[in-house]
Amino acid sequence: MSELHDSAITLQDVRKSFGRVHAVRGISLEVFEGEFLTLLGPSGCGKTTTMRMIAGFEEPDQGRIYLRGRDVVGDPPNRRPVNMVFQHYALFPHMNVEDNVGYGLKLRKVAKEERRRLVGEMLDIVRLSGMQRRSAAQLSGGQQQRVALARALVNRPAALLLDEPLGALDVKLRKQMQLELKRIQHELGTTFVYVTHDQEEALSMSDRIAVMNDGLIEQLGTPRDIYEHPLTPFVADFVGVLNAMRVRVDEVDDLTATMRVGDGERVVVPVATGASTGQELMAAVRPERVRIRPAGEVAPAGDGSLVHGTVGLIVYLGTLTQYHVDTSLGGRLIAHRLSDDAATAVREGDRVVLSWDRGDSAVLGDV
Amino acid sequence: MNAAVSEGGRRALWSLFGFLLVFLYAPIAILIVFSVNDRTLVSFPWEGFTFRWYRTFMQNSALLLALRTSTMIATVTAIVTVALAIPASVLFVRRRFFGKPFVSALVLSPLVIPLVVFGIALLILFNTLAIPLSPWTVAVGHIVIALPFAVLTLVPRLERIPAYLEEASRDLGASAMTAFRSITLPLMTPAIVSSFLISFVISFDEVVIASFIAGDEPTFPLYLFSQLRLPSRLPQVIAVAVVVMLVSGVLVVASEVWRRLANRRLERQLARYEGEEAVA
Repeated sequence: MSELHDSAITLQDVRKSFGRVHAVRGISLEVFEGEFLTLLGPSGCGKTTTMRMIAGFEEPDQGRIYLRGRDVVGDPPNRRPVNMVFQHYALFPHMNVEDNVGYGLKLRKVAKEERRRLVGEMLDIVRLSGMQRRSAAQLSGGQQQRVALARALVNRPAALLLDEPLGALDVKLRKQMQLELKRIQHELGTTFVYVTHDQEEALSMSDRIAVMNDGLIEQLGTPRDIYEHPLTPFVADFVGVLNAMRVRVDEVDDLTATMRVGDGERVVVPVATGASTGQELMAAVRPERVRIRPAGEVAPAGDGSLVHGTVGLIVYLGTLTQYHVDTSLGGRLIAHRLSDDAATAVREGDRVVLSWDRGDSAVLGDV
Repeated sequence: MNAAVSEGGRRALWSLFGFLLVFLYAPIAILIVFSVNDRTLVSFPWEGFTFRWYRTFMQNSALLLALRTSTMIATVTAIVTVALAIPASVLFVRRRFFGKPFVSALVLSPLVIPLVVFGIALLILFNTLAIPLSPWTVAVGHIVIALPFAVLTLVPRLERIPAYLEEASRDLGASAMTAFRSITLPLMTPAIVSSFLISFVISFDEVVIASFIAGDEPTFPLYLFSQLRLPSRLPQVIAVAVVVMLVSGVLVVASEVWRRLANRRLERQLARYEGEEAVA
């Protein structure tokens, strides 16, 4: 059990049901000291319940929860060395900023002078210096968020639990707070466990992401892992727009499966575990990996995939432009290109060739 | 102004309002006038201004004693009622338990039981248990009838205090008791003050139950009733009524002003929480 020293939180086969609803159906997870780990999933996937079990607001029906190696199942929230940032900040409306932030210290009988110093320090870190006397009601949403952070962090918790903390903020403020959270986490080196349904948020902030679905962790990995090598169709779909194609294997060569579609068209997928001819697979490729060029141009060299199609729709997204292409695969494929990429001067109705490298497509599982 | 109300309709509403004002306040105005009219018969004509009646009631020891008894009963009633209503409202709002509808019906039932019936029932009960009638027995009766009002004042307030505030407090290291005391209780204070005043007033002018179980020490309303038989005492009864009215008026207005000031900041924050809940 020597690894437990590096582990801030360990969950072992944790399960929780509410009546007939199985919210969490067996989760094992280790969160390392100083790590930023995100529980990502749609509403009802069990991510919030998991977090509430770590904090002590729900007790698991089964399984163990260790905080810094200590089994905390059965301990009330006030005896667990973690602190939480709530969705609605949950600032105490009858207290000013200083009393809110100093609340936990006061309960731990930290002397008044020391308390004032620690609160001041933490307010500096969350960039609210000099706001001690303000009441919670006088603060903007972003400021309330910072107070909630300071109130939790000032106790130096073994881990900070954040339950969709940016959900109530507008888009611009949210982006800003994402960077702030990362900065604060680096500055203090605190372990963060972050719950969100926003994949972009998860990808940009996390060291690791646990993608949850239906009470289980579907995949655990770095943002790059999760994004580029999704292991299940759910993960692939949830973590961004994805082109999924149902294909039948025509050739298997070493660890590459090739599907012939039409005249010179092919889909090439690496198959780590091997495949057999005639097998049906779900293959996937990210839109930004798909190159698009007008038909008739010199065909690209290489051993990647190549599919012909007609542009059905062009959607301008600002930095990116999205091309929806009808293909002979029996569905639309989406390609993302930088909007100022002159090479992609195609219009709706044009015949085009889509291509992507062998390594950019993945198998999502058997069909 | 509301554009949907026509000119004629508006006039009708205003006259209805005026009518109500007159019916509410004319008797009170007349009371004040007669309390300083230098005449034993409570009627016009005006025979000159006097504070005579105020002086006589200040010397009336039986009346002062009744006033003291009632104040004592009302204070005890208000304190005990609030002390019971706080845990009761927490139970109703925050906990789910078996038989909750039954228990809430039990607590609220004094609202629909006629006071006469309840007074007789209490009298029989105290007799059966051989408990001597006293101001304390009156307080017991008043606590029972004031409790539903106090609970109904606290419940809506508590419903507006998000449960996650207490969770946040627990999370930061507070025991369940400390969380309640340092977070929920202060946020409930305005409603607690209101329910205290309501309980006090309910007890102070309650006459039906008191008439059954007051024993030898009459409460203030009981004493007033007993004096109505003696026409000569009427003017000083009126004078004391005016004093009670003014004192309670000042108390209620002052506490209401305080409550509103204390409430304003709180409400703003709670409204914000609710707004976010609606968005989420």
